[in-house]
Amino acid sequence: MLTLEGVTKRFGGLTAVRAVSLDVRRGDLLGIIGPNGAGKTTLFNVIAGYYRADGGRVVFEGRDVGGRPPHAICRLGLTRTFQLVKPFGNLSVADNVMIGALTRLGSVRAARLEAERVVETCGLAPHAGARARALPIGLRKRLEVARALATRPRLLLLDEVMAGLTPSELAGIVELIRRLHADGLTLIVIEHIMAAMMRLAERIVVLHHGEAIAEGTPGEVARDRRVIDAYLGEEFVLAQA
Amino acid sequence: MTSFPPRRWAALALLGVATLLPLVVRDAFVLDSLILILMWGALSAAWNVAGGYAGQVSLGHAAFFGIGAYSTALMTARFQQSPWLGLLLGVVLSIVAGGVIGYLSNRLRGPYFALSTIAFSQVLLILASRWRGFTAGSEGIPVPFRRGFWTLGLSHVAWVYVALGVALIYYGVEAWLESSRLGYQLAGVREDEDAAEALGIASRRLKIHAVTLSAAMTSVGGTLWAQYVGFVDPFYVFSIDLSIRFALNTIIGGMGTALGPFLGSILITSLETYLRATFSGLKTGFAGTYLVIYGTALILVVRFAPEGLTGLADRLGAWRARADA
Amino acid sequence: MDSARRLGRAQIDVLAQLGVSTVLLGGIYALIAVGLTLIFGIMRVVNFAHGEFLMLGMYAAFWAYDLAALDPYLVLLGAIPLFFAVGLLTYVLVMRGVIHASHNAQIFTTVGLSIALQNVALVVWTGDFRTLRPWHSSVVIRVLGTAFNLSQVVAFAIAVALTLALFAFMKWTHSGRVMRATAQDHDAATLMGIDTDRVYRLTFAIGIACVGAAGVLVSPLYAVYPTAGLQFVLLAYVVVVLGGLGDMVGAMLGSLIVAAVEVLGSYVFGVAWKEVFYFVLFIAVLVFRPAGLFGQRGAETLGV
Repeated sequence: MLTLEGVTKRFGGLTAVRAVSLDVRRGDLLGIIGPNGAGKTTLFNVIAGYYRADGGRVVFEGRDVGGRPPHAICRLGLTRTFQLVKPFGNLSVADNVMIGALTRLGSVRAARLEAERVVETCGLAPHAGARARALPIGLRKRLEVARALATRPRLLLLDEVMAGLTPSELAGIVELIRRLHADGLTLIVIEHIMAAMMRLAERIVVLHHGEAIAEGTPGEVARDRRVIDAYLGEEFVLAQA
Repeated sequence: MTSFPPRRWAALALLGVATLLPLVVRDAFVLDSLILILMWGALSAAWNVAGGYAGQVSLGHAAFFGIGAYSTALMTARFQQSPWLGLLLGVVLSIVAGGVIGYLSNRLRGPYFALSTIAFSQVLLILASRWRGFTAGSEGIPVPFRRGFWTLGLSHVAWVYVALGVALIYYGVEAWLESSRLGYQLAGVREDEDAAEALGIASRRLKIHAVTLSAAMTSVGGTLWAQYVGFVDPFYVFSIDLSIRFALNTIIGGMGTALGPFLGSILITSLETYLRATFSGLKTGFAGTYLVIYGTALILVVRFAPEGLTGLADRLGAWRARADA
Repeated sequence: MDSARRLGRAQIDVLAQLGVSTVLLGGIYALIAVGLTLIFGIMRVVNFAHGEFLMLGMYAAFWAYDLAALDPYLVLLGAIPLFFAVGLLTYVLVMRGVIHASHNAQIFTTVGLSIALQNVALVVWTGDFRTLRPWHSSVVIRVLGTAFNLSQVVAFAIAVALTLALFAFMKWTHSGRVMRATAQDHDAATLMGIDTDRVYRLTFAIGIACVGAAGVLVSPLYAVYPTAGLQFVLLAYVVVVLGGLGDMVGAMLGSLIVAAVEVLGSYVFGVAWKEVFYFVLFIAVLVFRPAGLFGQRGAETLGV
């Protein structure tokens, strides 16, 4: 469904992503983990069209999407969320989600119905009328997911939607991701904390200094020497897994 | 939303007053005030399309106003053509100029964009005031008055209805925008461009459309104003003060609302007219006083009521609803 | 090179005069622009009311001369602390409330301030053009075929001295270092326990003191009226955009470039058209090198 072939992104002298190749098949739930500054978000920015790769190709459903603007990539069925959430702060939760729905739907009426459904799915119904900026961070992360879902993606990129949440919020969002996956959505999930990911993802790619240093099931990755070295000093994170 | 929101009722009431007033009152002063309120309201509404709905705050919209004013002045005074041709020319030129400004809005954000629009209007001011051979330079151009609808030589009463017609169309455009797909997508772009892009919204194209539409609407206002007032002075029609006026009416009334620019215009234009009448005997003139109030009001509104009068009314309504419950 | 060899005595004099004019003008522009760029660099606010403080400086000099026959250079000694205080007061009353608000709120606040100050001047002092002519404005200095009046030279010298003093302050004092740290990374500065409110207060006061001083310095050279600040502030925007908003050294270079464009433009095309050049230059720089001629790319679209 999504294939990266040797994707490289440089900023001046710094290579943020170096020759990353990976393959996502329909129905996958792929996790990408790595320490801070490993290039995870940069990789998402390249896939979603925010940055232009300096080398390599990004192929989504047979189309090379390199050089296409983000909105065009979204319309192809690939939607991303932001690690630093970007809600439309002055609009209501319902309107936020509806703007996502309008990408597929021509009529405001239809989009509003669709938004209601998505808001319900994501457990945001009690807050539908609230202003997005008034939400606590846990709900704003949910709103990121809801808004992206409303664009009816076939592949959803989630950028650290679990970071900074309380344990109960975390459990809720993990449950949501599982449910979406069970309903047939393909997902790539970026996470800094390995613990949650170990229980969620079927397959994990580990990024370190912009390179993919390991790939495999959570169990395989957790035993990988290079991964443990990369996370040295953060072993407690592994221990939780 | 099946219920008729209070803002629409307020708009309907204002429409009724503006429609009936010329039938009852024939006083030129009152009618002149009404015409100016409607014209400045419509022009602020035009600014609102770019500044309020799309979030592209321009401080150079006088450029489009001036284009509209000069198009009709040159068309009528120099080429003896119909002012309606001037209106058309102004719209075409403003669409081109609006495209340029829209392009700038895609490269520049926030204060950078505001600065570039000031520079743009200043370039036009210099062209208009220095290109003596064509525009008559800094002396300005008197717009000939020829009685009749096609020459826009109208009575005060007729001008009220022309201005009202334009105001109504502009209000309608924005009321439609508020509940349409385009309007919601623009709101997304205004709130967060990156997020809007991620959700499949072609933000760059949308911004250019909004700025261009806003430019064309402003130009029409400029043409009508020039025909009504009968004189085009480059230092007025391209002035930063004028650009700011469009913005201020809108902010004080409420950005991104259809009614806001008109509320702002009613307040500010009446204040101006009142102070002009009151202080007309003094040597320093009224201008200073009302602009001091204007500037101070702007600072206070931005600080304490950033959503303007309409926002205040909403808050009041919500508070009363809670008190009733 | 052929044309260069054919340059006669007269042309060399003209070139010398143009060159020196550029430097003299550039020095004064620099003092105006450096305050603007300082405020932007540290507070991320474009002060649209900057020109009005210049105008107030000009009026301060005018009235001191008119009422008490005080020389502008003497007035300067009082004007710097006075405008520092005005800056402090303005920050506390007006700017503090919007320092964390949106760009638009900041733009409109400073625009509102500009309108209010301009028109307070109009109401209080009328729209009349006023000029002050201290003795030094009619003393002409002739050096190597170039001629200048003394006011121009002294204004330049003081402006450069003040600008350099500001640079030294930023580089070597603790407050200056704290200000630069805040400019670099506001959040990190806060985390390190820097009182950003104090930094902003100081920044705004210094920026206003600079432009107020500049107003006093230019008062013998230009007419004083309520919108006198506008022409200068438009220039200052060009300067800081050329130099990169927030970049103080860039502002110095930008001042010289704008002064050169102005001097050469007036000489070659006449005074009437010179402004077109710098506005076109301004838009071109904004479009093609928005972070300034010498800056790094990206600042403008990140919406700093």
